[in-house]
Amino acid sequence: MRVGLINGCLGNLGSVISAFEFYKYNIGIVTAPESLKDYDVLVLAGVGNFKTASEKLKKYNLWNFLNEEVVMNKKPILGICLGMQLFADVGYEGGETGGFGWIKGKVVKIEDNSVRVPHIGWNKVISDGDTLLFKGIKDEYFYFMHSYYFLPEDKDTVIATTRYGHTDIVSCVRKDNIMGVQFHPEKSQSVGLKLIHNFMTENK
Amino acid sequence: MIPKRIIPVFLLKGSRFFKGTNFKEHIDVGDPLSQSMIYDAQGSEEIVVVDIEASAENRLIDTSLIAMIVKKCRLPIAAGGGIRNISDARKCFDAGADKIIVNSHVVNNPDLAKELAAEFGSQSVVVSIDVKKNTKGGHDVFTFSGTEKTNISIEYVIEKVIENCAGELLVTSIDNEGTMSGFDYGLYKKISDLVPVPLIASGGSGCYDHIVRLFNETGVDACGLGKMLFLRDYDIVRIKAYLKGKGIFVRDA
Repeated sequence: MRVGLINGCLGNLGSVISAFEFYKYNIGIVTAPESLKDYDVLVLAGVGNFKTASEKLKKYNLWNFLNEEVVMNKKPILGICLGMQLFADVGYEGGETGGFGWIKGKVVKIEDNSVRVPHIGWNKVISDGDTLLFKGIKDEYFYFMHSYYFLPEDKDTVIATTRYGHTDIVSCVRKDNIMGVQFHPEKSQSVGLKLIHNFMTENK
Repeated sequence: MIPKRIIPVFLLKGSRFFKGTNFKEHIDVGDPLSQSMIYDAQGSEEIVVVDIEASAENRLIDTSLIAMIVKKCRLPIAAGGGIRNISDARKCFDAGADKIIVNSHVVNNPDLAKELAAEFGSQSVVVSIDVKKNTKGGHDVFTFSGTEKTNISIEYVIEKVIENCAGELLVTSIDNEGTMSGFDYGLYKKISDLVPVPLIASGGSGCYDHIVRLFNETGVDACGLGKMLFLRDYDIVRIKAYLKGKGIFVRDA
């Protein structure tokens, strides 16, 4: 099984690669859009700002090809941080920008004067515990670094939440083959590796 | 609230870690890769790696070293040293850094922070500020690893970099750094309310109670540790156990 890591020039892919390689998964960076179909599972990750990232994915022609693989061919995809936010209809970081619209909703700024923004550090992820992605992971701490968060319209797509100040941040979403996490599993020590392993086990 | 972060701060000179006193008299404290793996295993929240000679030598931190650490560790890495523009920052991110740290070049040109935040998101941009007490009781900002005095106050730099979308601040007291005599608590009390973004305090930690006092008396979110970890008999696991016993919210190591 081949894992394709999407490089929208969003930056730090090295840690995602080494996390997947820890379990000996075959992961490669997708550079040519046409090669997306050669992968069995996709990961969309990286740092960046919503507008810059969506512009870059479009510029490198990955946008349409990704849509085809994920929507038409139902290929499993894991979005990490900004990667998950891009699943939304619209984001406001860097100005109003359209996302993939795979999961209905918007990406808005954390507005809360009682806490520091960006939300940086380790925070508890509350999931119901019995979904496949969180198998064996119950109320554990994962690493977050973000100022914006995803507000899906359909609450059934919310798999996990994380409390920060007065806000319940949606920390994991899922709709069929489309999965996303707001935190960084590749940076969350052993519990993060476990989540990546769960994702891969489910999609075997 | 989220747990306070405990962050080993590694100062690089080329390919080795060094530790000094008041930004001087540096001695070699080890190999970057093995030290990073140790603190990852002990459960530190992240690691800061800064090449303290890079800006003065007009070069960038050795990004192959960042890549090596990222490959072996599963915790966030903030890296800096000599970042002058977007292209330098991109090299660090491409190597696997999660956050970049900018100091001298942003203090001299605050617009750089804005450009970096627009490209990479403000959560990835840490501004590091080195300060020294002045005779009037204020704090002056220094650049180029404490070698150049700027004549601008910490308050001014904070205002400027926040306006320019810095995502996090790392504030180091040159007077206390490496002395193991405790943090400059007054400094962090003074600035923690001025800073709406996460704030890391660094410089002076020498025993458990220094860290307890820092978190009890000031609003900082994280503490950077150096000599206490590298040259004394302390480790992250025991530090966290002690803090927990004193009622400070930390993540179990």
